[in-house]
Amino acid sequence: MPLIDELVALLGPERVRHHPLDLAVFAKDAGVTSGPVVAAVFPETAAEVAACVKLAVTHGVPIVPRGAGTGLAGGAVPIDPGLLIVVTRMNQIHEIDEIGRTAWVGPGLINLDLSTSLASRGLHFAPDPSSQRASTIGGNVGTNAGGPHCLADGTTVAHILAAELVTADGDIVIVGSDAPDLPGLDLRAVVVGSEGTLGIVTKVLVRLMQNPPNAATLLIGFSTIQDAAATVSRIIASGSIPAALEMMDRPMVEAVEAFVQAGYPTDVAAVLLAEVTGTGQSVADTTSLIESIAHSNNAASIRVATDSAERALLWKGRKSAFGAVSQKAPDYYLHDTVVPRTRLVEVLGQIYEIGERHGVEMLNVFHAGDGNLHPLVAFDANEPGMFERVRAAADEMVRASIEAGGTLSGEHGIGIEKRDLMPLVFNEADLDAQARIRDAFDPQRIMNPGKVLPSGSRCFDASGARL
Amino acid sequence: MGWVTDHPPRMEALDSCVACGLCLPVCPTFRLTGDETASPRGRLTAMKAVASHGMEVDERFAEMMSFCLQCRACETACPSMVPFGGVMEASRTEARTQVPVRRDWFRRLLLVNVLRSRFLLRVATIFAAVMQRIGLLIRLPVVGAQTRGLRPLSLPVRTTAGGTWGNPSGDVAMLLSGCVADVWFSDVHKATIEVLVAAGYRVEAPANQTCCGALAAHGGFADDARSMANCNIKAFASADVIVTDVAGCGAHLKVYGRYGDDGAGVAAKVRDVNEVVASAITDGRLPSFPTSGRKIGIQDPCHLEHGQHTATAVDVVIGAAGFTPIAIDRGGQCCGAAGLYQIDYPEISEQLGRMKADRVTDAGTTTVVSANAGCEMQLRRFLDDGYRIRHPIEVYRDRMMEDDRRPTTDD
Repeated sequence: MPLIDELVALLGPERVRHHPLDLAVFAKDAGVTSGPVVAAVFPETAAEVAACVKLAVTHGVPIVPRGAGTGLAGGAVPIDPGLLIVVTRMNQIHEIDEIGRTAWVGPGLINLDLSTSLASRGLHFAPDPSSQRASTIGGNVGTNAGGPHCLADGTTVAHILAAELVTADGDIVIVGSDAPDLPGLDLRAVVVGSEGTLGIVTKVLVRLMQNPPNAATLLIGFSTIQDAAATVSRIIASGSIPAALEMMDRPMVEAVEAFVQAGYPTDVAAVLLAEVTGTGQSVADTTSLIESIAHSNNAASIRVATDSAERALLWKGRKSAFGAVSQKAPDYYLHDTVVPRTRLVEVLGQIYEIGERHGVEMLNVFHAGDGNLHPLVAFDANEPGMFERVRAAADEMVRASIEAGGTLSGEHGIGIEKRDLMPLVFNEADLDAQARIRDAFDPQRIMNPGKVLPSGSRCFDASGARL
Repeated sequence: MGWVTDHPPRMEALDSCVACGLCLPVCPTFRLTGDETASPRGRLTAMKAVASHGMEVDERFAEMMSFCLQCRACETACPSMVPFGGVMEASRTEARTQVPVRRDWFRRLLLVNVLRSRFLLRVATIFAAVMQRIGLLIRLPVVGAQTRGLRPLSLPVRTTAGGTWGNPSGDVAMLLSGCVADVWFSDVHKATIEVLVAAGYRVEAPANQTCCGALAAHGGFADDARSMANCNIKAFASADVIVTDVAGCGAHLKVYGRYGDDGAGVAAKVRDVNEVVASAITDGRLPSFPTSGRKIGIQDPCHLEHGQHTATAVDVVIGAAGFTPIAIDRGGQCCGAAGLYQIDYPEISEQLGRMKADRVTDAGTTTVVSANAGCEMQLRRFLDDGYRIRHPIEVYRDRMMEDDRRPTTDD
């Protein structure tokens, strides 16, 4: 029986999408790449996921997991005709341990929904990617996602205690545990960030954090990018790590302010958004410390928001940044490099220079506190030759970041987009080791094949390693 | 074949979506299904697939489009500010034109012929009022269940079109009498007129106006919607302000700019009655009454919140009437009424209606106001008889009347 018929027999027609128009809709996530889809299915249990995996393996069809499709690196886009296993219906909060501060949740649960439903208990899930209003916990796990508040709290891997996984054999296994120090290899940490190449996560044990009693959000405007970056370095050097430290340049602020109307200053070269959390006195002390550092670095304006509605509006602006780009151009392409904080100013200068040289429009919005840049090129894909120019520029920006002692990706994942740049940061032995781990889980390469590791990672072949 | 009508989804509107996905969580149909093809982004991708990638407008396309509630919550969430409502209406017109629709003639009869004919509306209302009195209305096939939410229909039928009220030298507030609103919600119009007159307006309901065309536009009858709009653009040209007391109609009048400069001129003067009354209260033309401590729940109609961005005006009106406004499910989902949607997708409509009713129950208020006739019916349908569902202006008018020590005429 053809794969589609078997899937329909398993899940019913309503949970198997395969009309050509459906396939066109599912061919893409939030990034720029698209790929061929055989069908998109909506399992509701781990057992159904396992059954779908077994069917796909029998038919030799690759499997690609998908949540809300907010990824930017093509992680949920098949390369060869593939079966999309969409986990959005597995969105339950299975159990909450309020004392132990953990919860078992489904991979399709929307990130922000988890924190919202925990609000009355004074708890939240810390990793907060900008797409958190839409993105799923499964996506957090797949990409080891970060977010503004990961500066103080760490990225997703620090907040996942265990995961239930359907392997390429169709087995359902659990990696990790709620025990503090599990004996043996930490497979949990291997699975977090593996982008669906080791199996499909069907349940996650997350760590919950206490909501801070007090918080203040500072919006600081600067007349030069240099002053803003210097302020970031000085704040970190002072030894007090704020909860979040974000920067946006002027073009980005203009786009964001047009949407949220939160009072972002549009007459400055850059704004810094800093959040301070803790008890009343410590918030007040750190706030005035940041204010004085900002003043001594020529801050043009400082606004301190302590009201939760005002703070929420400022954050809504920051977290809408990518979408707001469409006011400048219909498409955007971005990377997610990390550079040493001490070299922020220098690398930013190079990025603007590269953009100018290639004649592309640049916007910058990034996690300044941990040096995680998102150089973003706005363009119109309908313009002939444009995408190639954009890619060439973006590629140079990545190289500039890496040459400055940085790395390829901070939080968005590697997917298809950055796969062939992996040799810039890993040598043959590194890639070979990673490929061996993957083969241990998935020897037939049926789980999201072609992602993360460039082809030929085992017996590394450098000839294919350029975009 | 691509698009075939004169006004397909505008390419620059489709291009303004960068596919970030922030619309997904606010879309009721995506929430219920987890299916990208039932999300605003997925629908836009489908439209783009037809516009640029050689896909056909086929039955599946028509289904993807018709499954949308047109609540426009995605517009509020969209940082790219994609004008989703407009491209969805255009896509529906394309779908209707290219894919045979079951009972299309009946839909057109209902959404166009009846709604724009005062005579047919009157006949239908007399029939419905009689059926309601003998208890047979709710047993009608297809539409029976929905009529449970209707107010008691008055006989003889009362209408406002053609009337004038109030101070002859006051600013002219023209009332959109509307179609079913005029014959089924005449008490709301009455309250609107009384409060506007108290605020010093001369209220006119032009005799040559017609249905705003919202339901025709939502249903994919773009040409009919245009001709209704053109009729209203003439009828309302001389107004100082155009007032609507049904959020869906107001939201639609506010997009008349798509019909040219005269349309834009009319659209710019349109205000929901809650906006007009709230500003009259703020600048002292209408009184604020001392608080009674009693609570009234506020349901935010999508077409007030997302279509007109004026939902908070209702809080001001209810507060000034002496009640404590309690927001019900603010920022939440569509109640599922959504015009003909409740007939096309009765299960989804009912599911959303029950969810909204649960939010009302959670809020713990037994009087709820809604500024949209469709939402009001949906709430009444899914809440038990212990709840009173009213229009906010009726509540304010009653408080005003009480103060004048006159008996209320409502209910």
